[in-house]
Amino acid sequence: MDSFPGPAVKTPILRLFHWIWHIRGDVPLPAALAPDDAFHRLAPLFAHSGTTHARMGDLIVVTKHDQLAQDPLSIVDSGTLQIDRDENGAVLRYHLVSRALLYCFLAPLLFLAVAQLTVFLGSLEKPGSEEQAQKDKGKQDHKGEIRLNPVDKFLGAPAPEKPKDDKKNKEKGGDEEKKGFSPTTAYVFAGIFIALWVLGRLLEPWLIRRLFQRTLAD
Amino acid sequence: MDGIRVGKRIVGTQSPVTIGWENIPKVEGGAFKRLFFTWFQPVVLFGMIAFWYYAPNSIAKASTAIGIGIGFRVVLQILEFVNPRHKSWQITWKELATDLFYVGIASTCVRLVDNYIGSDAIIEAVQKSLDVEKLAWFTSLPLLIQAFLIIFIFDFCQYWMHRGMHNWYPLWLPHSVHHYITQLNVHKGAVGNPLELFLIGLGIGGLFDFLPRAFLLAGAIGMSVGAYQHINVRFNSPRWWRFIFNTTEHHSLHHSQDFESTRSNYCNTFILIDRFFGTCIDGEAELLGMEGGRRMSIREQMLYPFTEGLRAWKERKSREPFFADHTAVPAE
Repeated sequence: MDSFPGPAVKTPILRLFHWIWHIRGDVPLPAALAPDDAFHRLAPLFAHSGTTHARMGDLIVVTKHDQLAQDPLSIVDSGTLQIDRDENGAVLRYHLVSRALLYCFLAPLLFLAVAQLTVFLGSLEKPGSEEQAQKDKGKQDHKGEIRLNPVDKFLGAPAPEKPKDDKKNKEKGGDEEKKGFSPTTAYVFAGIFIALWVLGRLLEPWLIRRLFQRTLAD
Repeated sequence: MDGIRVGKRIVGTQSPVTIGWENIPKVEGGAFKRLFFTWFQPVVLFGMIAFWYYAPNSIAKASTAIGIGIGFRVVLQILEFVNPRHKSWQITWKELATDLFYVGIASTCVRLVDNYIGSDAIIEAVQKSLDVEKLAWFTSLPLLIQAFLIIFIFDFCQYWMHRGMHNWYPLWLPHSVHHYITQLNVHKGAVGNPLELFLIGLGIGGLFDFLPRAFLLAGAIGMSVGAYQHINVRFNSPRWWRFIFNTTEHHSLHHSQDFESTRSNYCNTFILIDRFFGTCIDGEAELLGMEGGRRMSIREQMLYPFTEGLRAWKERKSREPFFADHTAVPAE
């Protein structure tokens, strides 16, 4: 497997992290299927818009750009496919690189940074306690005037909440103060992208293997 | 392609479109499936209205609305697998991850910017500097009227902003990238340049004061209608629904590869606004996007309005003035 040529690696240390966005695998070729026939069957996969490929003997080098959404190899940006022979017969080995997987892996870092920025900007926005107290008082006075329309009263809609007292508001931390500067959403998206990467890392290699298996078996 | 005459315009000359409700395919399958996809939209809408109208104050909160919103999106995502409108719009892992990235940016970065220069922030600043109170008498109106006003005022502003984006180049630049989407899926509404998402969110709703419950009702109605703009699900929307509200069919036509079709159906919620201003076309399209359906990367989506704007500005600057010193060419 070591001798199997893959996409060029500029920094050797990056090899340690290849599992994040590199997809490797092999699919046994049906008996009596010659390499020429195997590549002929795989050819339609490289006919999608934005795909270029070159064959050198038993090796195919693929690159993709602006892949269409419905391209079955849309997550692949570059890679190699090679037919090897061993005592069990011929095998198609592939080594594909997906920037989509890499960016998905890095996306949580971006959202964590956004969360930190939100917290920082929120701390700058904190109004002075006196100013806040005055603001709250004004709001409470205003809320006290709100009455439900008679139509809504008749239909049974709940009356608007009475303004809470100062103490309760302070205990809650002042909702208004935090409004617009909560980092929760950014944290949620960081979590979503961790889950998405795990899903993609499991699902996409499985789909690609199944695609090659079905294509070669046709 | 010959195209189809719709009023004064001819649509479908560059890419196939289907015009007229009688030509649009219906939901196929068993009686339950057809019943479900006929009544799902109205039942959700009226269910949401009833819930938010009667929910006790302890439940009627923004956090409940967020939870329902997320749950609804998950349900719609499942429906995309159950009854897809087009196989060519099927969601993939990469599409889902890309779409959610834009949703994430819209829900975090764009919201953060809105705190400073969003329409509500601007209106609040103006009201403070002029010492003007919000128009508070709206709070005494019946809740459903308040909710309708909130949606309608926003939709009306959005209609003109959207129409402006299709008719004025500086506004078209940030919006153009949204038209590079090649399929409609649940989260595709957020795909685009953050600058566009900021612009489309501008409105004058901040001028008025409404009850918090009216905002929740408006949000629920907006969600129960607007969520179907970008979605890969085939519904048999009732006749009255597609007369009043924007549908996937309308919006797919707006995203068509046919230029003339894109200049229609601008509204977000009420297609009635388009009908009123003569920009509504009832129909649908499957082939979507720009430049023959080229898919734009996230990087290009983020940079395109600026790089393209700079290119256009340089080109304009280098253009010869109209009355430049030309050698006179006599008329025939």
